[in-house]
Amino acid sequence: MTDMKKRPTAVTKPVGHVTIADRRQFLIGSAGLLGAAAFGAGTSLGLGRARAQSRAEISFASAAFFGKETFGDLIKAFNESQDRILVKNIALPPPSSSTEVYQGLVQQLARRNGTPDVFSQDVIWIAGFAAAGWALPLDEYFPADKRSAYFNGTLNACTYGGKLTALPWFMDSGMFYYRKDVLEKHGGKVPETWADMATIAAAAQKAGDIDFGYLWQGKQAEVLVCDAVEIITSNNGAILAPDGKSSLINQKGAVEAIQFLHDTIATTKISPQDVLSWDEEPSRQPFTSGKAMFMRNWSYVWPIAQDAKTSQVVDKVGVAPLPSFPGGKSSACLGGYQLGVNANSKQREAAIELLTWLSSTETQHRIALNFGLAPTRPALFQDEQIKKEQPFMASLEKVFTGATARPITPQYAKVTLALQSGISKALVSGKVQAEMDALADQINKIVA
Amino acid sequence: MTAAATVSSVRRPRRLGRALPGAFWGLILLTPAFVSLASVSFYPIVNGLNLSLTNTSLITQDQDFTGLSNYVQLWGDPQFWNAWWHTMWFTAASTVLETVIGLGMALILCEAFKGRGLVRAAMLVPWAMPTVVTSKMFGWLFDGQNGIINYLLLHAGLIDQNVNWYGSPDTAMITIIIADVWKTTPFMALLLLTGLQTVPISLIEAARMDGAKGWITFWHIRLPLLMPTLLIAGLFRALDAFRVFDLVYVLTGGGPADSTETLSTLSYKVLFSTLQFGYGSAVSTAMFITEGIIALVFVVYLVRQIRRAQ
Repeated sequence: MTDMKKRPTAVTKPVGHVTIADRRQFLIGSAGLLGAAAFGAGTSLGLGRARAQSRAEISFASAAFFGKETFGDLIKAFNESQDRILVKNIALPPPSSSTEVYQGLVQQLARRNGTPDVFSQDVIWIAGFAAAGWALPLDEYFPADKRSAYFNGTLNACTYGGKLTALPWFMDSGMFYYRKDVLEKHGGKVPETWADMATIAAAAQKAGDIDFGYLWQGKQAEVLVCDAVEIITSNNGAILAPDGKSSLINQKGAVEAIQFLHDTIATTKISPQDVLSWDEEPSRQPFTSGKAMFMRNWSYVWPIAQDAKTSQVVDKVGVAPLPSFPGGKSSACLGGYQLGVNANSKQREAAIELLTWLSSTETQHRIALNFGLAPTRPALFQDEQIKKEQPFMASLEKVFTGATARPITPQYAKVTLALQSGISKALVSGKVQAEMDALADQINKIVA
Repeated sequence: MTAAATVSSVRRPRRLGRALPGAFWGLILLTPAFVSLASVSFYPIVNGLNLSLTNTSLITQDQDFTGLSNYVQLWGDPQFWNAWWHTMWFTAASTVLETVIGLGMALILCEAFKGRGLVRAAMLVPWAMPTVVTSKMFGWLFDGQNGIINYLLLHAGLIDQNVNWYGSPDTAMITIIIADVWKTTPFMALLLLTGLQTVPISLIEAARMDGAKGWITFWHIRLPLLMPTLLIAGLFRALDAFRVFDLVYVLTGGGPADSTETLSTLSYKVLFSTLQFGYGSAVSTAMFITEGIIALVFVVYLVRQIRRAQ
């Protein structure tokens, strides 16, 4: 989960599995034992306990995001909003430690004992969890008419083997940052094709307006796969065939796209050689210090670019969908966490109710305002309050429309390691076709 | 003959009677050490070996015995051999450099000079630093755009444009080796310093009286006497260098183009990103075997040295 990495972290520390719900139950229990009327005259303790016992008890596990509130607060709000279900919040590590979150979830799900009943998952884990039979297919609960309220790209990422196995929650995607002031000098029109982008970038670089034309992320890491998915899809190419059983990475569309990335360093020289070792933050720094014209990055860059303390380019930055090749469509690599129900949950109805509530318009609205995480429902981008409080997020509807999932396969963890290594080799050596052929062989062996 | 036989047959029961409780108590006293060692080092190794013979994977939920098939796959896995060679190269280069530079430092610190205590203490600072901090620090020093190394080399006229140190497969490994040498040389120097201090001064004084100059004293007296220490320090260092993880993980993640992938980072990826515990354990076992061979070479050489000295 590269896109969530750079969010400020460290305030909430999940302390074991002690949660607000736990503490509350403990308080209710001990208060009842002591017979102290700690909850005031208005609350009947006896009733409170009886109610807690008759409620269906389920658990919710998620990487710990936070903003003005935490997911614990969100669960608390759900518990207080109704009296049929009591949810226990299991806080996993923050999204910056996504490998640990993944391990934690896999270990719990593999026990097949129904805990956690509901969980949130990075988009790239969905297929794996579905193939292992851990995620409940949700088609019967969310028929086509209910699904149309979400972005298409997220729905695709939530679908495995023709079944909806996850419900969209919140999202992020790659986007195209540009310097408005520099662009003004060079035509003023945001480039829509990669070739135009390269021409403008080279001209601006030659004129000495900026040091670097275009910044992207070429480090052998997950983010390289994101950059590759975007540029390959924008040339009508793909990494995997639609059935997920073979690789198309050595086909014309993909090879041309990777060749373009290589050329930004070697031929057009609009990108410094350093992008080969840069992930998000190293590429963000030259951009916000005013040295670069265009950059591909996630939404987290925006608040940094608009903060006068950290940025030399306040009010000089614009965001647009990424360019595409002629005949292709702009594409943005999808990130974010989506919801799933444990197939072994013993409280299926209650789990579905929590899932529906978490992904509802109201809760997504609340998450957008309080966590700064973008909704997966396009309608919310027209919401007046979101437009007012999160104007940048509201402007991203067009970008998110092009959101594209990374290869959907239960073997994603192996496929991504092969992609990182193979694409990195192609970018370094420039032998794109040969490396892509080798890479396709390797991926075919993994997914066949 | 008969007398001797009778005597020994008479004595034996008494000896046995005494020996039994003695051995028994010895074993009892050994048990805590044995149990603790077995639980923290023997059991994990056996368990790892056992896992490496299965196709255990958390994702597919398989857990079947598959014999040596993981090792067959490993033998034909170019990723593994790529990582293996990088690890060997890293181990050899860093151990040799650290030993040579460390020996130089130890020789200097062995001499009496003003402020020697302070220098000896200050020397240990790089070694005391957490490796992650070292990695981040070298990340900035060797940064392709703003790094001071590029700045200095550029201004000294040694390079004509910024070098992308850890972004290019030609220089990435070298950068990591330099960082490791900076960090661990003090450790070698310290070990060798203690070795040097055991060389009797009388020998050196005698040599000096016979007219031997510094170099000859070093080559014929100090170095041979230092040899066992040198070998043990080198063994420690080689085994430690072989497991290099944090420097690579923080600086390059194994890239670019797999040029800095080592066995530790590879096994981490296989074990914890793809959750293939079976194959990952095979990679770890291969590491264990390679380390065993390295240790064996050192020990054989060491034993021969000691024998020759006797």
